[in-house]
Amino acid sequence: MPNKVTIWKIRNNNQLRKSYLNNNIKLNEFDALIKITVEMSRYLYPYIREILQSKENLERNSVIWNDFYMRLIQLIKERFNIDSMRVKKLLNKTENDEIIIKSLLTLSFCISNQGYKKLKNFLIDF
Amino acid sequence: MMQNKLSFNQSSVSLEIIGLPDYSNNENKDQISIISQWKLIIIDKPLIEGKLEHLEPIMDAFYIYSNLLIKNEIPIYESKLIDIKADNLHIHNVVLKSSKPTVKPLILKIGNALLSDTINCFDQLNESSIVRIKKTSISKNFTKKFRFGLKNKVKFFNRIMPPFISICSLILLSSTFIYFYNPVEDKEKKELINPK
Repeated sequence: MPNKVTIWKIRNNNQLRKSYLNNNIKLNEFDALIKITVEMSRYLYPYIREILQSKENLERNSVIWNDFYMRLIQLIKERFNIDSMRVKKLLNKTENDEIIIKSLLTLSFCISNQGYKKLKNFLIDF
Repeated sequence: MMQNKLSFNQSSVSLEIIGLPDYSNNENKDQISIISQWKLIIIDKPLIEGKLEHLEPIMDAFYIYSNLLIKNEIPIYESKLIDIKADNLHIHNVVLKSSKPTVKPLILKIGNALLSDTINCFDQLNESSIVRIKKTSISKNFTKKFRFGLKNKVKFFNRIMPPFISICSLILLSSTFIYFYNPVEDKEKKELINPK
């Protein structure tokens, strides 16, 4: 990844976004995105953990989960194509809990030094 | 002889490994290759401890269970030593069974946060250069199976790409010849040869 613009361009390949490019991601770009994701999840692990813990016991501490959930939904509405069925599923409160929890769990399982290989395997097997 | 002790910590979970280096392999005095005891300390939960033969199946159980959980498969793992089952999306029921018939099984309820802490402690142990543990047959089989999917997909892609490219290039090449062939001219030539 030579610069931030390249990351921005690759990020625009996401078909869930409002405007997306239909370029195919090269294998080395796919690897680079995974490495960035793993580094970010390692950096954000304490926060990811707090979100998971907050969701486990909403009665005791619902603030962190609610903040995260509201921001996530806000970002999805802002940047994703809300007419798409897959995005509608992400916004549906009864269905999105499982998707969000499993995504957070996947990130939290991949914070080790070998996390990059783990996440790549998870994504290829997905 | 003083035993070496090493701890792997992740938030609320700590994994302690106690053992000795294998001097017959000329190992460093800080190394742990012969594990005599291990302890898994989870805050607010009972202590889990055992010998090496218990550590490997427990690690395998956690790894397999976490994979099942993520891959949308039924998250249930059952073995002679440990059962892990999901109570719901957030709580996991871990049952540790003792080899002694008189000892009751230990039941732990852990959340997603503690599950990921535990997995990360096991990852640290696996990646440690100080502690060396020999992999069990279960984990070997599992990783082989795990890698198989990836290799298979890459192989399939490699197999399908060359014929696909060759067919495409054939079509492209043959389509250019259409411009060289003029059927009207050909008819005129034939008429000149056979004037009937």
